[in-house]
Amino acid sequence: MASASGSLPRYIVQRLLLIIPMVWVLITMVFILLRVAPGDPVSAAVGDKLSTEALDARRAALGLDRPMLTQYFDYLGSVVQFDFGKTISDNQPITDVIKNNGGATLSLTLGAILIALLVGIPLGLVAGRRRDTGTDVVIRLFGIVSYAAPVFWTGLMLRNLVAPTGWPSYEIASPITKFQVEPVTHILILDSILAGDTDAFLDVLQHHVLPCLVLGLLLAGVLIRLVRVNLLQTLQDDYVEAARARGIPERYVVRRHAFRNALVPVITVIGLQVALALGGAVLTEATFSWPGLGTKLIDYLTARDYAAVQGIITFFAIAVVLISILVDILNAIVDPRVRY
Amino acid sequence: MRRNRMLAVGATALLIGSLAACGGDSGSDGDGGGTSGEVSGNPWILGTTESVTAMDPAGSYDFGSWNMQYNIFEQLMEIPAGGSDAMPQAATCDYDDPQTITCTLEEGHTFSNGNELTSSDVLFSFKRNIEIADPNGSSVLLGQLSNGDDTNPGLAEGAIETPDDTTVVFHLNQADTTFLKLLSTATTSIVDEETFPADELLGDSEVVGSGPYTLAKYTPGEQATLEANADYQGPHEPSSPQIFVQYLSEPSVLKTAVENGEVDVAWRTLSPTDLNDLESSGKVDVVKGEGSEFRYWVWQLGTEVGKDKAIRQAVAQIIDRDVIAQDAYDGTVTPSYSIVPPGFGGQKDSFEEKYGEPSADKAKQILQKAGVSTPVDITLGYTPTHYGPNAVDEATELSSQLKASGLFNVKTQDAEWEEYQTLYKQNAYDLFILGWYPDILDADNYLTPFVRDGGFYANGYSNDEVNGLLDQELAETDAGTRDEIIGQLQDIVAEDVPLIPSWNGKNVAVASKQMEGVAETLDPTYIFRFWDISKTN
Repeated sequence: MASASGSLPRYIVQRLLLIIPMVWVLITMVFILLRVAPGDPVSAAVGDKLSTEALDARRAALGLDRPMLTQYFDYLGSVVQFDFGKTISDNQPITDVIKNNGGATLSLTLGAILIALLVGIPLGLVAGRRRDTGTDVVIRLFGIVSYAAPVFWTGLMLRNLVAPTGWPSYEIASPITKFQVEPVTHILILDSILAGDTDAFLDVLQHHVLPCLVLGLLLAGVLIRLVRVNLLQTLQDDYVEAARARGIPERYVVRRHAFRNALVPVITVIGLQVALALGGAVLTEATFSWPGLGTKLIDYLTARDYAAVQGIITFFAIAVVLISILVDILNAIVDPRVRY
Repeated sequence: MRRNRMLAVGATALLIGSLAACGGDSGSDGDGGGTSGEVSGNPWILGTTESVTAMDPAGSYDFGSWNMQYNIFEQLMEIPAGGSDAMPQAATCDYDDPQTITCTLEEGHTFSNGNELTSSDVLFSFKRNIEIADPNGSSVLLGQLSNGDDTNPGLAEGAIETPDDTTVVFHLNQADTTFLKLLSTATTSIVDEETFPADELLGDSEVVGSGPYTLAKYTPGEQATLEANADYQGPHEPSSPQIFVQYLSEPSVLKTAVENGEVDVAWRTLSPTDLNDLESSGKVDVVKGEGSEFRYWVWQLGTEVGKDKAIRQAVAQIIDRDVIAQDAYDGTVTPSYSIVPPGFGGQKDSFEEKYGEPSADKAKQILQKAGVSTPVDITLGYTPTHYGPNAVDEATELSSQLKASGLFNVKTQDAEWEEYQTLYKQNAYDLFILGWYPDILDADNYLTPFVRDGGFYANGYSNDEVNGLLDQELAETDAGTRDEIIGQLQDIVAEDVPLIPSWNGKNVAVASKQMEGVAETLDPTYIFRFWDISKTN
């Protein structure tokens, strides 16, 4: 641990510094791609309303008639000052969009990861423990299907199945709850707790179930396979064989020695899964009209809102990098053998 | 978990009851109409896929924003539910001559913050709208009052006079007999000069109006909560103390939400298939009113095919609108035989008069007479992303009809909306589909933007006689004479065929059985008048 802790801070600093070129490349790519694509915010909004001259006047008012490089360097200059500007299509400060909608994406993603862990780890362990049995086959099949099924399809099917029962099948809360709970952290489920409003909390919790389940099952598929394979490898390790040789009952060998070590790589994979979860969140949010950043991203893409799309994607990228750094730190703490 | 759900449902019911009671306190003893008493109805929830660009009237030009503004702000005039003429709202206005309009404000109107509504606020509202010239705004509609300078837009010198607190005089830079109707649109909403900045938009949550409702809470893209305005002095008495507007991302979510009672009314926009499903389920009411949506096929006169009038007329002779309405839209739209929809002054079905029943034989005669050899190669353009999947069905149906005539070889081409706009202006299609919602409820709004010098879509059609008639109808104060001119214009369009009308849409909402007043508000203005709608127990 001593040598690992010595190199870890340097590694973290390096990773943090790498964010700068990464964000620059990303912003540049998004900037170019958005402008290469046909259309702009003006034609998207009122293209079938106004004459070419009137459309051009609006483009000029937005500065879209200026040379591309001028627009690019202006934007970069603002970003360097942490000024992401305002959305073009609805005039909201982009930091407000991230603040107001990021909480919903966060609670959805965390809820999904929780479900993925609760479903994926036990099933993976059971499948590994009962290798090549009927149970193993069923669990593996479940894992493959839940991973391979498109998240929007699973979402639509579950929504149509559940909606007639009266269980909340869209949005993050009922209108009354959203009206009553004042945003403090902008994470509604947390705000309802802070408000001491049990009914609101239960309402928000119920609304989380379906979207989190859909996204969670997608992630669980990967975990089932990973945990199963890790367990099988661990069960063949020398120290497990040694334990068996000492006459320790098989169930103790599995529970106390194999299970724990088989779970270490899960931390790394969970970190990688965050990117997958955020990608899945975009589709899940759209399916359930979830008021998160994914839904906003789709709205703003449709509106060709350059500033908003650039801001949200940059935020997503920074979030993924920071989480991967956090995972690396956790890995170093959990597994002393890890070196950077 | 079942117990939890029961608890949540019970708690929600209790909350709604409490809110209803709270809302009841929001009445006032004003001497006008409005909330001169306790608003004792139930709160209700509207679900919609429309979005809000800005609550500030100077920053929007879209359904979602305008509808909120109609309920939060007052305009000088209004189109009453089911009506077509502009009537007094915050003022009584009339023409002194075709370029001069005098408005007298009703006394006692105040904003919800208590500030008095005066002529100075009216002047301020128009001036800032024109000067801000927000790229998402609709100041373009106020061209009759502006200085015409695109780089430094402003109110024209002396365009608006306010001789006293209750009088506003508009001096237009050209005759415009539609101006009273313009005064009923959301872009002319009156804002408080002490609250709104003169040179920029006000934040959405901060808007203050004098309309029947106030904006109590707003989360962009998610929810707006409106409460009855205790200080409202206008002619409309709110039927509900509180209204929630849920902004939903997908029509499929909207359908599920209204089907399961999670929203009380779904308005804009459900697909024809969803509407028919909901209607057949019987669980909710599908309410249909007259609409003013217009879908049409534009000829690009810049192409070899498009510039030939005989070919344009032949297609107009073949198109079977009834089949398009039935097969592509499940009968949810009405076939259109004029550029001006039914219900507007001067409207006449000129295409039906000129072409009668769809006929391939007559089309053949038109082409033969003009010496056009057949089959004619024609390219139809459409976009599946802007007007929904039914536009694909419409293009396919029209293509089939033209092919079946034996007179045309049809190639259909589609493009994503953004690319489509570029392509149709670059003559990529001979005939392409577009849609339209009017800004003001007047026949001129279906004529000037379409047929004056190529129209907004730049299709190359230009006709001096048409331009002259447009000038005349805009200046004509006698309704009968104006209707005649509008009739002449429609006849010329049917003869020249710069475009082919396809269908008119209806204004449709889906409501739970407890809702009242929905049918009354569904008219061609597309104003969802919250004050007229209530929910029974």
